[in-house]
Amino acid sequence: MEGMAGQKSSLTWLVNIAALVLVVMWTIPTAGLFVSSFRDRDQISATGWWKSMTSSEQTGFVRTGTADDQTQDGDLYVLEGNVLGEGQSLVGWGTRSREPAAYKAGETAELDGAQLTVNEDGSYRLESTAPFEMRRGERIFVTTASPPHFTLSNYSRVLSAEGIGRAFMNTMTVTIPATIIPILIAAFAAYALAWMEFPGRALLTAAVVGLLVVPLQVALIPLLRLHNEIGIGKGYLGIWLAHTGFGLPLAIYLLRNYMAGLPREVIESARVDGATEFQIFRKIILPLSFPALASFAIFQFLWVWNDLLVATVFLGNTREQLVMTGVLRELMGSKGGEWEILATSAFISISVPLLVFFAMQKYLVRGLLAGSVKGG
Amino acid sequence: MKRNLLVSVAMIALTSGAAQAQMKFPIGEDDTFNWASLEEFKAAHGDLSGQTLTVLGPWLGGDKDLFESVIPYFEDATGVDVQYSGSDSFEQQIVIDSEAGSPPDVAVFPQPGLAAGLAAKGQLKPLPDEVGQWITDNYAAGDSWKKLVTYAGPDGAEHVYAFPYKADVKSLVWYVPENFEDAGYEVPETLEDLRALTEQIAADGEKPWCIGLGSGGATGWPATDWVEDMMLRTNSPEDYDAWTTNELKFNDPKVVKAIDDFGWFAKNEDFVAGGVGSVAATDFRDSPKGLFESPPACYLHHAASFITTFFPEGTIVGEDADFFYMPAPADGSLGQPVVGGGTLFSVLTDNPAGPAFIEFLQTPLAHEIWMAQQGFLTPHTGVNPEAYTDETVKRMGDVLLNATTFRFDGSDLMPGAIGAGAFWTGMVDFVGGKSAQEVADQIQATWDTIK
Repeated sequence: MEGMAGQKSSLTWLVNIAALVLVVMWTIPTAGLFVSSFRDRDQISATGWWKSMTSSEQTGFVRTGTADDQTQDGDLYVLEGNVLGEGQSLVGWGTRSREPAAYKAGETAELDGAQLTVNEDGSYRLESTAPFEMRRGERIFVTTASPPHFTLSNYSRVLSAEGIGRAFMNTMTVTIPATIIPILIAAFAAYALAWMEFPGRALLTAAVVGLLVVPLQVALIPLLRLHNEIGIGKGYLGIWLAHTGFGLPLAIYLLRNYMAGLPREVIESARVDGATEFQIFRKIILPLSFPALASFAIFQFLWVWNDLLVATVFLGNTREQLVMTGVLRELMGSKGGEWEILATSAFISISVPLLVFFAMQKYLVRGLLAGSVKGG
Repeated sequence: MKRNLLVSVAMIALTSGAAQAQMKFPIGEDDTFNWASLEEFKAAHGDLSGQTLTVLGPWLGGDKDLFESVIPYFEDATGVDVQYSGSDSFEQQIVIDSEAGSPPDVAVFPQPGLAAGLAAKGQLKPLPDEVGQWITDNYAAGDSWKKLVTYAGPDGAEHVYAFPYKADVKSLVWYVPENFEDAGYEVPETLEDLRALTEQIAADGEKPWCIGLGSGGATGWPATDWVEDMMLRTNSPEDYDAWTTNELKFNDPKVVKAIDDFGWFAKNEDFVAGGVGSVAATDFRDSPKGLFESPPACYLHHAASFITTFFPEGTIVGEDADFFYMPAPADGSLGQPVVGGGTLFSVLTDNPAGPAFIEFLQTPLAHEIWMAQQGFLTPHTGVNPEAYTDETVKRMGDVLLNATTFRFDGSDLMPGAIGAGAFWTGMVDFVGGKSAQEVADQIQATWDTIK
């Protein structure tokens, strides 16, 4: 007995550790994205996000002043300034690109016939007996150590982007009806498929399940052509219908399985008591199905919220029609590559779905089990 | 009725006021611009007010703002309300919209192949015949440009279906002048010099080139620009054209030689920063950064004019970084070939404002407005080169104007399965170790399957 108990606990440990490892692995990319959203573009391309917490050594160059900045000190012409930014400390410096750290702080080097000294505090002094004539400053190469640095500027850039407010309202206008309409339709359909006897019911259910595998991309052109022909064109009505259509198979499937699992006795006793089908649906089925309804609402909300393809096809691309994902995409420019904007946009656009998720989270787990345990 | 009239008067006042406010350069003020061409255009098309013109294009972000700065001048001259929308998936969007029967009035194609495909399906409206003649007369290497926009329609008859506006130069090599000065290198004048410089830098114990082919799903495309440049430097333009249509097989010795010429630079451990293994793995947006490291990771970078976007913040082009024309062979038999890209404007509907917009794009002013900002090159010989804001862009424009041969990016002319598929992956295989012959055979095999 004792041995068995010990075995069991070591197995539990193994499961727990495996779960922990998986959780960590799954969250690392998100954590990296989150850290990256607080770094600027040059930092992101210089070092990985995992190095962002420690101070980093960087090599770069600073330009001296130009001929216009020179002052005269006795016989000497002098240019002075500082090579360090805020919080940085000097590791080494140089005058040629191939040896960027040839000299230590305090040393003096020759630079095009002038004497250059860079001190520990970053101040430099370039002196020459002849007046300087350059229009562009000479390069002083410096290797510096900088403390960890984070910035909120990515967030302010995304949040103050042109048209983001309008786009937020557009997304809301698309998302809320596109979540509610399919639930309304699917609930009726699911009830009929689960509890109403009629010929061809099994086939109809199979057809709905079959529709789950049809990729929505194949329907874009015919559907838009239909919209154009019946006069809906591009607009909110069109996109609501499109999202409803694309969401219905999953909705019906999920709700039907859940409703089919409700106890038969309740429904039959209601029938015996003389309740009509609509009364049964409204008074018994709907309240009992709330977890499934809520979980589908979350699915559909997330999907519509994150959608860009359906929105650009059925709504359009002009300023007045763009949804959030469209504006965020636009921020990244025609050629992409602005990882900091990508990371920041991800966290900004994730915030509303997160709120929805946490608000309805307790239904989600119950809803996910929808139909999996019959009679449960 | 009266109230309607008042409302519309107010609307016109409002919109024209708004248009005025958006103009970057007030009409008639700066002599650099050819205002007379706008007046002429206005005189010919003053009667389109109340029309709306929808334009769909690939430009987003900064490029979109720049394009939208050109539009008010057209709106002011004609009274048309232009609505531009950009899409990053333009290639799919234009097909969906035109097939479904709700095309934009005007589309801006980044790839001639796509425009040719839609023209063959009858989705594009042919432009008047004068436009073709106009391009020949007014664009540098005009015949090359005209050929680029002449497609077979649904009935098989060839017409000019698009108007090229805005060009990019791809045959450029970027470098940091001060690093050259430090090391005592000279800007090469011929292709032979460029090879000698590459060897010299390698002999000095440095890496000459930064090459990055990474681009997500499009990994490999920067190498196609290299191969195109090499094609035009070892073969005649006619061979290049035949290559893009597969009349010259992809595994023809001429093409294999061009791929090997690229391999001479990219497949030598001593010539590439980070080694050959990093070529396919480095993102093209990150690869130019090696020029600006200290000590420099590399000294040369082959890229199109848009690459300046990915230079470190604060880099002044022309001073901190500069470019030279990817040189032609010394014997001069092939002249000064230039590989470039560009955008093509097509009309898709019967909206009369569409052809008017194309005519507007022919005025020197439409070019000068964008030239005076950034990111715009034009082969139009009738514009005032003074409109370019800085010396660097002007020199890029000169590369375009001095071109004896202009050829569009070959991979954009090939069918999508090749130019945006097999060619890309083939190049990744090539730098990964396969021989040029193997890669060329493989691409030709794919081409055979789609015929």
